[in-house]
Amino acid sequence: MLRNTRRETLVALVLIAPFLAIYGLTFVYPTVAMVNLSFTDAPLIGPGQWVGFDNYTRLAGERRFDTAFWNTAYFVALSVIPGTFVAMVIALGVSRLTGRMQALVLALFFLPYILPVSVVYRLWDWTLNFQFGIAMYVFDIWGIERVPIFKTTTWFMPAVAFVTIWWTCGFSILLFLAGLRAIPAEIYEAASLDNTGRWTMFRRITWPLLWPVTALVTTIQLILQLKIFDQVYLFSTGGRPNDNLVLVYYIFQRAFVNNQGGRAAAIAVVLFLIVVIVSVLNFQLMRLAERRK
Amino acid sequence: MTASSARQINLVGGIITLLTLIIAILWAFPIYWGIVSSLKPENEVVRPYIELWPETLTFEHYIFALTETQIGRWYINSIATAVGATILTISTSMLVGYALSQLRFPLRRPLYWLILASFMVPTQTLIINHFVLVANMGLLNTWAGIILPQLINPVVIIVYKQFFDQVPRDFREAAVMDNAGEFRILFKVYMPMNWGVTTALAIVTFIWSWNSFLWPFLAVTKTEMMTITVGITQVSDAFGVYYASQLAAAVLAGLPVALAYLLFQRRVTQAITLSAGIKG
Amino acid sequence: MAEIILDKVSKSFGSVRVINEVYLTIQSGEFVVFLGPSGSGKSTLLRMIAGLETIDDGRLLIGGKESQTLPPGQRNVAMVFQNYALYPHMTVRDNMAFGLRNIKMAAPEVERRVQDAARMLEMDALLDRRPSELSGGQRQRVAIGRAIVKEPAAFLFDEPLSNLDAALRVRTRVELAELHQRMNSTMIYVTHDQTEAMTMSDRIVILNDCRIEQIGTPMEVYTRPASRFVAGFIGSPSMNFLKGSYKDGAMTLLDGSRIAARVAVPEADTYELGIRPEAVKVCEGEGDTKGQVKVVEHLGERTLVHVHLSDGSAIVAQDGGRSQVQPGDEVALRFDISELHLFDSSGKAWHAE
Repeated sequence: MLRNTRRETLVALVLIAPFLAIYGLTFVYPTVAMVNLSFTDAPLIGPGQWVGFDNYTRLAGERRFDTAFWNTAYFVALSVIPGTFVAMVIALGVSRLTGRMQALVLALFFLPYILPVSVVYRLWDWTLNFQFGIAMYVFDIWGIERVPIFKTTTWFMPAVAFVTIWWTCGFSILLFLAGLRAIPAEIYEAASLDNTGRWTMFRRITWPLLWPVTALVTTIQLILQLKIFDQVYLFSTGGRPNDNLVLVYYIFQRAFVNNQGGRAAAIAVVLFLIVVIVSVLNFQLMRLAERRK
Repeated sequence: MTASSARQINLVGGIITLLTLIIAILWAFPIYWGIVSSLKPENEVVRPYIELWPETLTFEHYIFALTETQIGRWYINSIATAVGATILTISTSMLVGYALSQLRFPLRRPLYWLILASFMVPTQTLIINHFVLVANMGLLNTWAGIILPQLINPVVIIVYKQFFDQVPRDFREAAVMDNAGEFRILFKVYMPMNWGVTTALAIVTFIWSWNSFLWPFLAVTKTEMMTITVGITQVSDAFGVYYASQLAAAVLAGLPVALAYLLFQRRVTQAITLSAGIKG
Repeated sequence: MAEIILDKVSKSFGSVRVINEVYLTIQSGEFVVFLGPSGSGKSTLLRMIAGLETIDDGRLLIGGKESQTLPPGQRNVAMVFQNYALYPHMTVRDNMAFGLRNIKMAAPEVERRVQDAARMLEMDALLDRRPSELSGGQRQRVAIGRAIVKEPAAFLFDEPLSNLDAALRVRTRVELAELHQRMNSTMIYVTHDQTEAMTMSDRIVILNDCRIEQIGTPMEVYTRPASRFVAGFIGSPSMNFLKGSYKDGAMTLLDGSRIAARVAVPEADTYELGIRPEAVKVCEGEGDTKGQVKVVEHLGERTLVHVHLSDGSAIVAQDGGRSQVQPGDEVALRFDISELHLFDSSGKAWHAE
């Protein structure tokens, strides 16, 4: 293709200028500033003294950081694998349906994903309400003792994980459905001519062919759930936020409640590194898997 | 395969389908329950037994929410910021996607790597410095301040790049033979040829923006500047502990995005699968 | 309408030469076909004229104007693409008008040209449709219309019929030939289909391996191919090639048969004898050679007989439509020696006088 290099560079520059301005301002600069801030004792707004790695070393023995870190890990464990599993089972069920029926059922599963977190919070806060929640009537019927779910530390994380799975599952279901549709019908037809039973069909054909999507869904969920804040914050209002602390919540507390910008930035950098390492590891694993194929 | 084993398999299949339907209904039940509760008078809401349909259907909580609270104001804030974020994200991302896909220029590869890198960076960790930045710019409690950090949306750029990559080279060459300059090629050929993906991306960007919680929650301290997603949870005094009123406000907050989804179901699902890197 | 001259034109992709010092003069109003197998450089050459590929070296003159450095839009040529490249979001009218509006032509003039082109191509009724609402043949015509409205110095066609089904291809071929006669404009047409080349062109440019093998009228390239490549590429079924040695006005083939050949080759040596199937006849009695029939193809008006000579070399002969020859038969073959060609080891051709 004949190209006018100088003109093309000029056009490209015009096209990417707005993007560069926005990314410079909202992405590159804040990232650099965050790392910088984490080495100072600055308040949220205003200058501070350089303190080296102090903010980081202090994290090591801190009880609140410990809680936040392990709660986040606990929440990830409770939500990622179960969420992926539930989504896959539902997708397999939905994929059996056809036409309008499928569209309708899919919409029922997908609708929660579309809702803002505060709506999800209101719905489940009401459904699981200690006094009037419909779930408690069900507990009564089954003879289970009522529990103030979001006020009890043991119940809090599992319940938030449950609500999160309910909220975000639609997204994973959608990806699984796309993966299932990509499996050619001929493969199933060939397999049924080979007298393959239902379970063998799933184990030997669907599951292996669906594996790339499963890996994708798990990774997306993992990276997403490491950054949990909204649900935990909302459900712990009026409860015991210090026991339910997660990493982003802790950043928020240090920065916006305790007005300690530097110390908050150190936590942010730690989380930043965790997410980046997980992303990079996952990227490499995927590349490895691809090459093995 | 014998006739009886075939029937058995059909039976198993039927049970699976039935289970799927039951789970689907249970899945959506909390939404239904929230809506129904919001249509009951407060004294019916707290009755100690399950009532799947209101005995007295009332809209009083909606009327209350719309007239006695700032929800109208929050609606305007949400619409303005979501529409603003959508327009800015879509337009800048389309331009960059086009440049990356169709033009050769120095530093093209580093730019692409920067965008891929921004995928990995959790914006939640940037809240401190976003706050400092927006505060220093004097944009706290403004629409612009709410919008600004929401403009990091590399997925939109990548989807655009992929779509422009897929346009056969012939079209570009035909346009060049037709004396069209770069901007005309973009705006008269490539952009209209990809209206579908633009619509899809715009709808989900709007939904994402409408639903964003953490940043609008931080960037706004004045109740009259809150977005609806933040407002309905932060200003509980306005409702007291009247469950039905709270639920009515929640229904109002979720309504626009739910409608957007129900009206453009196919577009939304297309954009969501695209954003995950799967060709829809 | 204009003359196009390529003067020692070359191009490389990296270190690979894809067009090597091509000289070619296309007369004004001429219909020239670039014919060659894929990878021969024929499309590249066309795209170099269009301006879609750079010309690394040499000069390109379009209507006397040096054009090798001009951008595509300013070369005053129009191109019809293989996949048509009709803008899917524009109506037929807008598709045709797009290029004219880009050079800010006045609206009434644009409309006049679109109407004229539509009338000429008999698609007045389709002007407000979109490409997706058209059949393959109609899209083809819109693509041509988009070229016509520009009133270019030359039309460039890049394998424009390859996406049509067989029947439509034959009809469109005739339409294109008619269009050329009516418009009397310079046309350059790239194809790998020799039927298209033979039926439509004034002259054929045969390319192979980034070089021009031969330039000539369809009958010239058919009856007097300049090289072994052209001889084998043109004609279907293709020419028979038999190895042998030439001495004193006769070829001795590997099966021992001697065939008189009045060919002015420079010296006695081993050559390949080339002869088209229609010049090899199944005959009664003694022929020039004989062999065993392997396959018989009845084509109606004639019959193709695939024969193996005693040394194992294969040859296709022709017989009448009602041939009684059966596989397994021994048949005698007679060569029409006025249609003999000899090729030396470098592929150079000599023709029977």
